[in-house]
Amino acid sequence: MLFHVKTPRAVLKKSLIGLILFFLGGLAAYLFPFCLPRNVEQQWGHHPLLPIFIMTVIFLAAYKPIEKFVKWFLEKYLFHKKSLAQMTLMSLAEDLAVNLDLQELANLVVNTFGEVLHLKTVALLVPDPLANNFEVASAYGWQISASKRLRLAVDSPLVKLVHQAGPHVLVRGLLLQSLSWQEANTLSRDFDSLQAGWIIPLFVKGELVGLIAFGSLYPDVVFDQGDFHFFREFAASIAKCIHNALIVKRLKRLNFDLQDSQSQWIQKTKLNAIEKLAAGIAHEIHNPLAIISGKAQVLLMQKGPKQLEPNVQDALNAIVKQTRRAADITRKLLMYSQGSHGPQEWISLEKILDETLALVSYQASLDQIEITRNLDPEVPQFYANIQEVREVFLNLLLNAVEAVGSSGKIVMEIKYRRDEELIEIICSDSGRGIAPEHIDKVFNPFFTTRHEAVGLGLFVTKQIVHRNGGSIRVESHAGEGSMFIIQLPCSKECVRKDDSKKEDSSSMIAEAKE
Amino acid sequence: MMRKLLVVDDEIEICEFLKSFFEDRDFKVVTASSGEKALDQVAQFQPDVVLLDIQMPGMDGLQALKKIKESNARTKVIMVTAVETQEKIEEAMRLGADNYITKPLSLEYLEKDVQDKIELLSQGMQQNSSPR
Repeated sequence: MLFHVKTPRAVLKKSLIGLILFFLGGLAAYLFPFCLPRNVEQQWGHHPLLPIFIMTVIFLAAYKPIEKFVKWFLEKYLFHKKSLAQMTLMSLAEDLAVNLDLQELANLVVNTFGEVLHLKTVALLVPDPLANNFEVASAYGWQISASKRLRLAVDSPLVKLVHQAGPHVLVRGLLLQSLSWQEANTLSRDFDSLQAGWIIPLFVKGELVGLIAFGSLYPDVVFDQGDFHFFREFAASIAKCIHNALIVKRLKRLNFDLQDSQSQWIQKTKLNAIEKLAAGIAHEIHNPLAIISGKAQVLLMQKGPKQLEPNVQDALNAIVKQTRRAADITRKLLMYSQGSHGPQEWISLEKILDETLALVSYQASLDQIEITRNLDPEVPQFYANIQEVREVFLNLLLNAVEAVGSSGKIVMEIKYRRDEELIEIICSDSGRGIAPEHIDKVFNPFFTTRHEAVGLGLFVTKQIVHRNGGSIRVESHAGEGSMFIIQLPCSKECVRKDDSKKEDSSSMIAEAKE
Repeated sequence: MMRKLLVVDDEIEICEFLKSFFEDRDFKVVTASSGEKALDQVAQFQPDVVLLDIQMPGMDGLQALKKIKESNARTKVIMVTAVETQEKIEEAMRLGADNYITKPLSLEYLEKDVQDKIELLSQGMQQNSSPR
C-alpha cells in the first residue's frame, strides 16, 4: 500500500514524506563526496551514479521512521478534526450506556456515526430471534421503506464470515480481493444489499448482538489501521449498550405476552361474573314475569258470563306478549354470557347474526340507529365455537352502535368469496370514525376512548378471529365512519351447505321495531 | 278419583298461583318450597304429576327429579324453569323428566300438558311420552 494514494489526506501525507526523503537524499548525495578521503573522492566523487546510489540507500533506510514522524506530525498539528470525531464517538458511547431504549440508542448511533464520519449510509442491524435474521434497528442515509425491508439471514454468507472473523472490521474491497470468485460473488451481494463498504461487528461475550454497516460518500475513502483500532474500541463499548437494550426489549415483549394472557384471564373472569349475574337476574325476573303473565292468562281464560270485554282482553294479551318479550331479553343475555370455551360445531352465521341483531336492536331502536343486514345466500356453515362467534358479532355491533351515537346507520354484511375460500364479515357504520393516531391501537388490550369502557371488546374479537385462522382489519376516516372487515378461511372440503331456511337476504331489523 | 298435583318452587307466589289455577280446574294440589320437602310430599301425597322447579336452594330440581323417579317411577314430572341452559334441560330429560316448560308459563300449554300426562296414567301406559 506504499503508493496506494486515495484521499486528500493520504496525498498530503505521501507528498510530505516524498519531499522530506528527496531533500534528505539530495543533501546526503551532495555532502557525501566531501566526507570521502581525497584520493577516493577524486576517483569516485564525481561518478554520475553515486548520488543515485546514495539517495536510494537513504530512501530505503529512512522511509519508515520518516513516515512515522510525518504521521505523528500531521495527527498532532493538522488533523485535530479526526481526533475530535473520535472523541465525539467515544463520548457518544458513554451517553449510550445509560439509555435502554433500543430505538433511541440505534438512532443515536447511526446518526452520530454518519454525521461525524461524513458517511453516505449507516445501518445498525440487530438480531430478531423470532424471525431468525438481522433486521434494521435504525438507518442513516437510507430511504425508510428500503431500510425496513432490509433483512440479513442468520445463515447468510456475511453473518457467517463475521462469526469467523470475530471482532474485526470487515472491509469490502480487501475481502473481495482475497476470496475466490464464487465466494466473493455471494458475499458482495450481502454487502451490496446493505450498501456497505465496511462492517463493524458488535460482539458481547462471543455473542453477535449487532452489525454496523456503512458506506462512504466518496468511492475512494480509506480508513487506516488507527481508524480500525478505534472502530473496534467503539464497537466494544456500544455493543454492551445494544446488548442491554435488546434484553430490555425482549423483557418488554415477554411482559406484553404476560399482560396479554392476563387480560384474557380478566375477560374470562368478567364473563364468569356476567354469567352469574345474568343467571341471577334472569331467575329473579322470570318468576315475577311468570306471575304477571299467569294472572293475565287466567283472566283471559274466563268463559261465559265472566268473559271480559274485548278491550280488556286486548290489554291482557299485550301484557302476556310483553312479558314474553322481557323474558326473551334476559334469556339472550344469559345465553351470551355462558360458556365461552365450549366445543366447536357447524354453525349458521346467519342465525347467530340475527340473534345478535335482535339483542342489539333493543338498544339501537332507542337511539335512531338503522341497522341493515345484508347476507350472501351462498354463505356456507362455519365450524367454530358458537359462543365465540356470538361474541365477535356482538362486539362489532356494540362498537358500531357506540360509534354511531344517537342516530346513524350500521350495515352488517356477510359475503362468501368462493374463489378465495373466504367468508367475509363486514361491519360498517356512519359513526364518528377513528382518529388516525388511534387506528393502530384499536385492537390493543385496554385501549378505549370511553371512560366507562374496559377496552377489551375489539382485542377479544381479534383474538377469536385469529384463533379461527382469520384476520381482522379496520378502515376508517375520522368523521366518516369505520369499516371492520373480518376474513375467515373456509376451504372447499370443509364447506357444508347451510340448510337452514333462506329468508330475504336483506331486511331492516331496526325499522321493524316500533 | 281426584287428580293430584304437586307444585315445587322456592318462590311461594308461584306455588300459590299455580295451586289456585289448578284447584279451579278440579285438581287436588299441594305445594313444596324445596327439593327435600318435595320428596316428603311425593311419599305422603302420591301425586300423579309434579311440577318441579330446577333452580332451588338446597336440593335442586335435578336431584329431586332423580329421587322421585327412583321411588315413584309412575309419577310424571314436568320441569319448570326460569332460566334454561341446554345442559340442564338435557340432563333433566336423561334423568327421566317427562317434559319441561319455561317461565313465563303459557298456562294453556301447561294445563294441556298436565291433562295429557294424567290421561297417559289413566290409560295405564307406563312409557313416557315424548318431550314437548
